[in-house]
Parts: sequence; C-alpha cells; structure tokens
Amino acid sequence: MDLTDRQWVSYAVTHPFAGFEDMRWKKAGSVKIATAVVCLWFVAAVLYNRLYGFQFYSEPDKIFNVIPYFVQTIVIFLTWTVGNWSVCTLLDGEGTMRNIYIYSAYALIPYVASLYLETFLSHFLIRDEYIFMQVIGYLGQGWTILLLFSAIRSVHQYSFLKTIAAICLTVAAMAVMLFLLVMLLLLFEQVYVFAYSIYTEIAYRLKV
Amino acid sequence: MLLKQMTAAALAAALSLFLSGSVTAAAEEHYDVYHYDCWSEAVPSQAGYTAERAVSGQDLGVGNFSEPTDIFRDSHDRFYIVDSGNDRIVVTDAELETVEKVFDTFTMPDGSETALNSPQGVYVAPETELLYIADYDNSRVLISDYDGNVQREITKPDSELFSQELTFLPQKVLADKAGNVYIVLGNITTGAAMFSSDGVFQGYYGANTVQTTPEVIVNHFRKLLSTDEMRSRQARTVPSGITNFDLDDEGFIYTCSQSTSQTQDTVKKLNAAGANLFSSLGVTWGDIRSYYDTNTNTNYQPMICDIEISDDKSINCLDLTTGRVFQYDKEGSLLFIFGSKSDQLGGFTEVTALESCGESIYVVDKRKNTVTVFAETDFGSLVHKATELYNAGYYEEALAPWYQVLQYDGNYVRAYEGIASGLLVKGDYEGSMRYAKLADSNSRYNKAFEGYRQEWLSAHFTQVAIVVILVAAVLTGLHFYRKKHIAKTETAERSEQP
Repeated sequence: MDLTDRQWVSYAVTHPFAGFEDMRWKKAGSVKIATAVVCLWFVAAVLYNRLYGFQFYSEPDKIFNVIPYFVQTIVIFLTWTVGNWSVCTLLDGEGTMRNIYIYSAYALIPYVASLYLETFLSHFLIRDEYIFMQVIGYLGQGWTILLLFSAIRSVHQYSFLKTIAAICLTVAAMAVMLFLLVMLLLLFEQVYVFAYSIYTEIAYRLKV
Repeated sequence: MLLKQMTAAALAAALSLFLSGSVTAAAEEHYDVYHYDCWSEAVPSQAGYTAERAVSGQDLGVGNFSEPTDIFRDSHDRFYIVDSGNDRIVVTDAELETVEKVFDTFTMPDGSETALNSPQGVYVAPETELLYIADYDNSRVLISDYDGNVQREITKPDSELFSQELTFLPQKVLADKAGNVYIVLGNITTGAAMFSSDGVFQGYYGANTVQTTPEVIVNHFRKLLSTDEMRSRQARTVPSGITNFDLDDEGFIYTCSQSTSQTQDTVKKLNAAGANLFSSLGVTWGDIRSYYDTNTNTNYQPMICDIEISDDKSINCLDLTTGRVFQYDKEGSLLFIFGSKSDQLGGFTEVTALESCGESIYVVDKRKNTVTVFAETDFGSLVHKATELYNAGYYEEALAPWYQVLQYDGNYVRAYEGIASGLLVKGDYEGSMRYAKLADSNSRYNKAFEGYRQEWLSAHFTQVAIVVILVAAVLTGLHFYRKKHIAKTETAERSEQP
C-alpha cells in the first residue's frame, strides 16, 4: 500500500476499523493536513453560526466575538491532544504527541464536512425539510465518534475497554487543564493590575 | 441679486424650521417614549398616546378627590370614579366635564339608609344596569340600581370553603352575563371569590400558581427535613393573589397580579374552566428588562395593578412601579408604552386604575387625585388601524398603513412583520423575505422562501436540468477516463517488468 498523503486521508476516513491501524503500520499521516483540518473546523464553526439559513436560525448581529469559536474548536482540540498524550503516556500508550494530533484531526473530517454541508443546505431547504440536515448532522457526528475511538485505539494499541477508560480520563484531564488555564489568566490579570497601579502611583508622584 | 437669494434662503429655512417645529411639538412628551425592538431592547419610538388634560374633583365641581381607587365606564359612556377617601362614587358624562350623580348613601331593601365606607371598586353590568360596589371597610358588596336602591348585599359567605377567621375585604368586583359576581378580596390568594346571581358562594376562580423560584425549591427540601414544630414556624409557600380583573365582550375574564415575586403569568386571560389562554404566548407583561436604581440598590419590577380591555380588544395594563401604561393588541403584541413617574401632565405618583373610551385612555392617580386623559396621536391611530386589519387577517389591506407606520418610526418591528406577511399574501416573495429579515422573523422568512424557491425552480427548470445532466456526464466521463488511464499505466508497468 503506497498511498500519497492525500490518499491516506480518504483511506483513513473511509475505513473506520482498519484505516488508522494501517496508517500506523506505514507511519503515514501529515501534520500539515491535520492542521488544515483543525483550521477548517474553526472556519466551519464560525460559518455555522453566522451564515446559517435565516429560515432556521438567526443570531443577533449587534455583537460578534470570534474568541468563543476559537476556544470551542482550536483550543479544545489542542487540550484534547495534550490531555490524551499526558494520560496515555502514564497508561502504557504507544502514541506520540504528533500521531495523536494527526489521527484525531483526521477523525474530525466527517464532522467538519457535515458542518459545511449543513450550512450550505440550510440556504436551499425549508423548515419542513429540516430532517435531511438533521440526518447529515447525526451521520457526521456518529462517524467522527467512531473514527476518534478507532484513532485512539490504534495510536496507543489499546484494547476496547482501555480505550474507553483512556477517553474518559482524557476528558477529565481536559477539564483540569482548562480550569488551570482560566486560573492562570486571572492571576496574570491581577499581576497586571498590580503593576499598573504601581505605575500610576509613580506617575502621580512624579507629576505632583 | 446675492442679497435677494440670501434672504429667500433664510426665509425658506425659517419657514421649514417653524413648520417642522410645530409638527413635532404636537407629539412631544416630557419623558422618553420607547418601544422594544426585535431583540427585546428598548429603542426610542413615537408616542401613540399623548396626555391631553388632567381632571380633578375641583374641575368637576364636587370638591377634590381623596385617594380615588377605581374608574369604570358603563355602556352609556358614563364614568364612575370611586372616590375612596370621600366615601363616594362620582358619575360623570363621557367628556369628564359635568357630574351626573354622586353616590354616597343608598337605600336598603328595608327602607333604611346606608353609607359607603372607603369603597374600592365599582362595576356596572351592561345587561341589568345594576351597580356592583366593593364597599371595602363595610366588608360587603352592594348591588344597587342607578337610583340608589340596593337590590342585594353580599357579605362574608357562611361556607366551609371560606375561612371564618378572615375578614371579608372586597377590593374589585365584576359580574358576568349570567349574573355571577366575582370579587377580588384583599386577603385571599386563591383567586377571585365567585358568587351565583342569587348571592350564594360558589368557590374561587382564576387562582395563580406558585412560581418555582429557587427559594421555593429550597423551602420544599427544607420542609422534608424538618419536624412538625419547625414546619409550623416556617413561612408557607402561597401564590400571589390576583389584583384586578376585567371582562371582555366575549365573556373572558382577564386578571392581573401585582407582585414583587411573581414574574410569570402576571396577566392572564381565563376561559370558563379557569385556564390561562395567554400562557403559551410567552409574553413578558410590562417592561422586559426590570429597571435597576443604583441610588437605592433596588430592582424595580413591573407590577401590573390594573387591566382594561378596550372596545377594539386591545389590552391596557397599568404598571404601578413606573407609572406606565402598556398597551397590547389582543394577541399580546406590544403596541405602545406611555406615561411616566413625574409631576408634569402625563406623569403619575401612584397610579391605581385605568379605563378606556373610544380612542382615549383614562388613568387615575391616587396621590395626585386626578384622572389624566390620554388622547390617541396620528401615529397611534395609524398603528391601531394597521393592527386591526392585520389581526382580522386582511394582510394585504394592512400593507398601506404599515408602510405609513414605518415612515413615522423605522424601529417599529410590528410594521416589518406586517409588511412581510402582506407581501407574502400578495405573492411578492422576495420583498417578503427582505422584510422578514428586518423583522427578525424566521417563520415568515421560511414561508416566503418556500414560495420564492418554488417560483425560481419553475422558472429555471430547463437550465437546472441541463446543468444537472452536464455535471453527471462530466463526472462519469472522468471516472471512465481515470479507470482506463490507470489500467493502461498498470499494463505498461507490467510489460516493462519482465
């Protein structure tokens, strides 16, 4: 099996059970493509919220903030990668950070595709036909869950039950990481406020 | 030459200034007139009603009112003003200019005289012309004819359903077509007491339910864990009682509840079974965002203290907190907000009741001791006309008034909705889609889009079919070409190998 990087993508996505196993065997997978998928996911999340067909859904246009979408896609994905790597190195997993990143991103492809497809179709369908979009959404999500499970299983060479346990622990690790991140941000803000108040104090002294 | 031009320009400017000044002055209020946009945010709007005059007892020639609590208009357009502090009911003509009668004493069926003692409410049945008076401090409801002859008296019922320790404190009263009497009692939270036409206590009607607030949930769990003795000391969770009510032409009773804790179902439209027909509308009655005062650190919630259904079926709600009148159409969409808390004309100190007559609205203030008359503005009559046509299903006919409404006030969301519906009926799907987007109405857009898509498909069917066939042909061609190409290269490779 000699496939190009692009062919490996379609192979992995269309073979949920053997795809990632073969990829591991052949040491295939490209960081570039994986990064592109994650970035496309971010774009899809923004489009899904802003450019959805008006007959289904509308967002108030008064404010738009891109940070939540960024956190909900790219930040979540990075915490997943780091969290999974930290949990699985402790649980005898064989995956490297690079492989976890690539395989997880490849597993996201059906979901990201379904987001684009749904957003596109929402401009052509009416509410009575919403069921088609719903089916596409469910298919994309289900397929991605299956692929993600298969990806974690092959990248670490785990058994079925161990994979489930690893995924649960990863989610817990992600929660801890996000909590620490928020706390870190708050603490840095306090440091900033402290430094700024010293600066204003000195500025006043110099003036008076 | 130049001088001539300049004077002409100045004259024109002065004239236009004068003209525009005189036009806006007619509709200028001393408070900020606002409305809610499609995202439930307050935006400046045009006034639908403007305060015309305030009528005091002095103006009517019967001496100042003292704490007037209710106003009622009967079927002959006479106004009954309940002058609670003076223990009397003043009847005036439709213009609120001359007093027709002052009720302070009544003749009982046995011939004796009886006086009112701080009456709180009055109702006049259109069928029988009988007056129903909630005589608060005398703990009775008097039913009398227009000459002051008492026909019947309703006092505390001797019934197991009515707790005998409680005093009978009638505040508001009304009677339906069948002669059943409904009485709002000041110390009862289980709804309005209902009496049959011959004065027999029937039970309660239109009770509020306890709203599930976090406090109520916590109290419920606390009660599960406490002993009987502790339970007896705890505050009971009771619904807030209804404050006022009104009857429409079809016999539906509308209630309002003035409460600091209740935020849902403060206005209800009750059917004969006592079910709330407004519960599914999801309307927030009164101000959508409660007003927060930073000086006193308090959150002022709307407290609807009176409700009135006018002849054109609009629902007028009076908010005690802000002194504002909120007018809704019969479907519960907000039409206008007017009134304020201030000393000027059109401002109030403590409102108690409102009534409507034709295009005017009358608001009673308990502290100012006046009745303020609000007259409909041009904008108001335009909106009412459009709303009436729209609610009757004449969407196309309502188009013209809605366009005019938009010329007055481009923030008026209902106009965009109305135009979207009108254009949809007319078959102008693209226009309907545009206006539905402006009104932020997804359901209207959906309908318009369905029509638009249908039209587009039937108009462009040949083109669509050709494109589909072409794309399919190219794809299959590409597929076959690739297969052939791959087969060729493979055979070429194989032939090279040996």
